[in-house]
Amino acid sequence: MSMRSQVYEWANLAPSGKTSALRRATDDIPVAVVANTEYDVFIGGLGNNITKPAETTATQFIVIEDIATSPFLGGAVQVRINTTDYFQNPDVTDQVGVPGLASPYPRGSASTSGGSDNLLKSFDLYPDVYVLPGQVFQILYSQRTASSATDTEVVAAFCKYTLYDGPDALIANKLLELGVTINPNNVDWYKRTLIEQQQRSAVAATAGSV
Amino acid sequence: MSMRSQIYEWDGARGTAVAAGNAGRRISIFIGGLGNNITKPAETTATQFIVIEDVAVTPSALSSSLDTAAYRGLSTANGISGPRAYVQVRINTTDYFLDPDNVGNDGIPGTASPYPRSLNFQPSFSLYPDVYVLPGQVFDVLTTFYNSTIFATLQAFVKYTLYDGPDALIANKLLEMGISINPGNVDWYKRTLIQSQSAMTV
Repeated sequence: MSMRSQVYEWANLAPSGKTSALRRATDDIPVAVVANTEYDVFIGGLGNNITKPAETTATQFIVIEDIATSPFLGGAVQVRINTTDYFQNPDVTDQVGVPGLASPYPRGSASTSGGSDNLLKSFDLYPDVYVLPGQVFQILYSQRTASSATDTEVVAAFCKYTLYDGPDALIANKLLELGVTINPNNVDWYKRTLIEQQQRSAVAATAGSV
Repeated sequence: MSMRSQIYEWDGARGTAVAAGNAGRRISIFIGGLGNNITKPAETTATQFIVIEDVAVTPSALSSSLDTAAYRGLSTANGISGPRAYVQVRINTTDYFLDPDNVGNDGIPGTASPYPRSLNFQPSFSLYPDVYVLPGQVFDVLTTFYNSTIFATLQAFVKYTLYDGPDALIANKLLEMGISINPGNVDWYKRTLIQSQSAMTV
């Protein structure tokens, strides 16, 4: 299977006495988050992390289709490809990214911890974000207000992406060159055109030999 | 009928109920020995093809460390209201959902793909592209929960389409051709076969 739908969920939960962990555990408790600091949800040293920076190999292509975060405490998420932030202000200065109020996680979440309202999304990540082979990417979480020191709020971030691997990553690159949107349908369409071309040339070769 | 929409619902409270000691461990919803189970591992025969279209599990809501009151119908502990559950698909011995470091993870969070869905718990995730289980493969759906004090309402749900007999052959053909396998495309392939047959007869 070379096209796979994938998700990554981050939360500021870690075992007691630690700020981060590679695996979720049953004794995880909320870890305080500092205001106005960008945390890499993959290797930021806070909450659940992975073993190395998120990157694509030479035979992988990633299409990020959705990012979301908890709306509490002014939470926001930014995508960084290599060293470039994806979301920028109109004056091309840095910003924190998509606010959780616009792209809430979980969807239907309240706007404050323990609240009773239900937020819907105002933001759709379209066009998608492409991570080309060999690139490093980060999802950066930040919040405007620091967590409570006594009653620490749980915050989370979510990323949905499709991983194209092997031949499908080559096709994704080809589609990029052609200026065609990269999605599973278009990758399948490209495969079909290749097969049809092959069949036509086989028929022509047979007719020629007769 | 050789294309059939199928579902499987697992309830951790039925049969041998899920207990606190099962927290943090992967539980097969088919043959895990907890909740309702089936008689043998889920697998396709040589004439079957399965397309898994949706997986979901009991959702959780984010709370804060001192909260203990139930929130949105779910008990609260350790800053989470609900079981903090995840669902993973395994084909033969390979986990479908991976972290970006290519290490298998717990799967889809119930918070992203909730079962049941409600105004409070809406999906952030849709399983697209679908997961294909080819003829002769064994598949499993594994759930993991981490909130060891909240597991009374732990449920998982799988929606899949079972293609059997000639339709499974067509599904294989579509796979070779790089066409998504769904009932519409299987029907389209049948129509093209019939049309080409009619053209030859005329």
